[in-house]
Amino acid sequence: MEKTEHKKGFTIPIGPQHPALKEPGHFRITVDGEIVTDVDVRLGYAHRGIEKAAEARSWVQNLYLFERVCGICSHIHAMAYCLGVERLAGVEAPPRAQAIRVLVAELERIHSHLLWLGVAAHEAGFDTLFMYSWRDRETIMDVLERFSGNRVNYSANILGGVKYDLDDEFVQFMCEGLDYLETRSEYYLEVVTTDAMFLQRTQNIGVMTRSQAELLGTVGPTARASNVHRDIRYEAPYSAYKQFPISIVLDQRGDLEARFVVRIKELFESYRLIRRILEELPEGDLAARMPRKIAEGETVSRVEAPRGELFYFIKSNGSDTPERVRVRTPTICNMMSVVKLAIGHQLADVPMILAGIDPCFSCNDRMFRVHLDQSVYANVGPLKG
Amino acid sequence: MRTTEEILYIAEELAAGWAWDTSTTKPEPNRLDVFVKYLEDLVPIAVGLRVQGLGYLAAITGLDHGPEADILEALYHFCTGKVVVTLRVNLPRRSPVVPTMTNIIPGAEAFERELSEMFGVEIDGLEHPSHLYLPDDMPVDLYPLRKDVHVQDIVARLKV
Amino acid sequence: MMGTILPVLASLLLFPGGLTVFLTGMAYEWMNRKLLARFQTRVGPRWFQPLADVIKLLAKEEVVPEDVHPGLFTALPVVALAGCLTAALYVPLWGVGPLYNFPGDLIVTLFLLSLLTLCLGIAGANTFDRFSLVGATRAFTQLFSYEAPFLLALLGPAFVAGSWQIDEIMASGAARWVILTQPIGFIVAVIGLIGKLELPPFDAPEAETEIVAGSLTEYSGRGLALFHMGKIIELVLGITLIAALYLGGLYSPLDFLIKTIALLIVIVILEALFARLRIDQSVGLWWRYGTLLVLLQWLGTIFWKGVAI
Repeated sequence: MEKTEHKKGFTIPIGPQHPALKEPGHFRITVDGEIVTDVDVRLGYAHRGIEKAAEARSWVQNLYLFERVCGICSHIHAMAYCLGVERLAGVEAPPRAQAIRVLVAELERIHSHLLWLGVAAHEAGFDTLFMYSWRDRETIMDVLERFSGNRVNYSANILGGVKYDLDDEFVQFMCEGLDYLETRSEYYLEVVTTDAMFLQRTQNIGVMTRSQAELLGTVGPTARASNVHRDIRYEAPYSAYKQFPISIVLDQRGDLEARFVVRIKELFESYRLIRRILEELPEGDLAARMPRKIAEGETVSRVEAPRGELFYFIKSNGSDTPERVRVRTPTICNMMSVVKLAIGHQLADVPMILAGIDPCFSCNDRMFRVHLDQSVYANVGPLKG
Repeated sequence: MRTTEEILYIAEELAAGWAWDTSTTKPEPNRLDVFVKYLEDLVPIAVGLRVQGLGYLAAITGLDHGPEADILEALYHFCTGKVVVTLRVNLPRRSPVVPTMTNIIPGAEAFERELSEMFGVEIDGLEHPSHLYLPDDMPVDLYPLRKDVHVQDIVARLKV
Repeated sequence: MMGTILPVLASLLLFPGGLTVFLTGMAYEWMNRKLLARFQTRVGPRWFQPLADVIKLLAKEEVVPEDVHPGLFTALPVVALAGCLTAALYVPLWGVGPLYNFPGDLIVTLFLLSLLTLCLGIAGANTFDRFSLVGATRAFTQLFSYEAPFLLALLGPAFVAGSWQIDEIMASGAARWVILTQPIGFIVAVIGLIGKLELPPFDAPEAETEIVAGSLTEYSGRGLALFHMGKIIELVLGITLIAALYLGGLYSPLDFLIKTIALLIVIVILEALFARLRIDQSVGLWWRYGTLLVLLQWLGTIFWKGVAI
């Protein structure tokens, strides 16, 4: 065990291996009794040097590399990459391919949010909800498997379009799954908003006001639960979201309950969007032709991953390998908020607050230490303890 | 909600008015690249963007233009709606230094640390207590994302 | 001489003490786990899993960490288990009546049952692991909060019967089940038992997502097995005690099975239904509501007794 002379108080290490963490991360939580007084984060245990590796691979090879940044949101990484590269090459994917991309992205969001619901419930010691939501998540995993042959890393994207088409049998299978999931989601929404014991663990815990959320640069459902209008699908529609607009799900309260509510409500939005896409699915090709060498230039590709904004900066030097690909995943933006919010809470709330941002350490792929300067927050006032 | 054109106009005015010397280009309809000539201008422009409500720093990207050009470039991407405003500064490859933005944008710390670790850019005003997100036994003078560092070099110098 | 010792030894080691207690404990642990799993739409363990777990743990190496008092580290699980086994002698297990009794055995049994939690807390405080220390703090906090309402709730039937002896209380409650006259006491006793056993939702002392395994983090092999056995025996004893005092006594094995399994099902449902409470929340629950309600019921019982006389 590490010695912690430099810190006053009692330090509890969580991670890199710990039952609360499904992926490696390291949190040093200084407590006074049960009250958290300081949090230190160190990440990067899953750092694989993907950005460096990308510079030595061709454009096509990189597609499969970026799919493997994250196991949960593999499709959206590939999609962000494809959209960026297609923009650089001046190629646009056919409408049907774009619709299928968005459809898979929404399926992935459902799968990710249900997974998160289970993990968050488990952190609260509510294992029944954990088991229920993961059982229902199998429905969507089966759908994805039927679609692509894989439960994760579906590899639906190719540069210029998609690989797989939808057939009637699959569409019917998927619709049945969605109908089932919709009733289940309604039930979960009821549980997280009415179960008195569960509310004790979520209501007014980890409250983040709108200005704090903006200052800390949070993204995704974490930001939307604090009433920040930040959803790339809504504010900068990309791909088929232009034809199939999404409505933004917001909540005013900014506490853990709001994060539960926002994510579950987003599920309904996803179900609606998928059905809408199926109704108006454009006909046509699945892929456009892509050049092997991509024209020189730089582009920024932003998409909304299940956890928030995913940012790709791609620079091409005109050859068949990229000059630089910068990946900024949503978790790194939200991690700051955990560090800030945990202080003043009970130790028992820390896993909940951490789970509240839906951290993905493999995505994160980085390590940093945060030393908070209190004066920075002087203008937003103290956080509620 | 401000339109894309309005936001681009505000950012362009800011870059022209709040800094000593900048030039701007629009590589794509929704993007504005601001080339900042003097490092001192970086923080004031960021303050201006924040005052205008455009201060969401999405990422900091480092670019290495190679040993021949002898230039490192740091790109600060500010996103609002569809707009991406990028502040770009050129840095000498020998001793690159940029001022920290954490005083105005606390979320910048993670990105600045990454820049510092991967490209060897010193962040003025930010403490460096230990190695950051690379392994502890990573040599301090090896910056993995620089173009003249190859994967073999890293493997050779890491005692695996 | 041998003639008198042998039956005593047999009753201590085989039935109803010793081996029977272990096997009953494992059977009930299996039922607990299996039912919980079915409620959570899982498959759950096979019937021999609790036995296999214990055998496996007993066969494993026990690691004694540095910086602990080694004697205390080894002795605590033994003391905890011994306390539970001793308590088993005064409880009407399998409905055959307590093996031994004397006036005031209810109080002794309750103290013996608290020994396990006490040992757990000391075991956690003995090691220098942070998870153990936090777990120990929480275990003691929980001990001080559930013990009062639990004790008061179990003394309610004794108060009505006018005796501190378990079989006499059983006899007085056989005609009219105490649960009908003291429903609040029954509820508090069941919830108190869940707290005592550190089962969800009162499992903050061993909340795995925060402090790994709480007090027992550093325990492995034999010590862990003994603590585990102590816990499952306490589960059976607690259920038996509540059934004996509140559900009209236990007078035959069938009686025992029906009443205790019914209670176990209630406990499992509560386990499955709720999210874990924070330690401050469970303390608040017991002191603010549990103790107060039981005291109110006591007041009612006193009045009722006064009127009846």
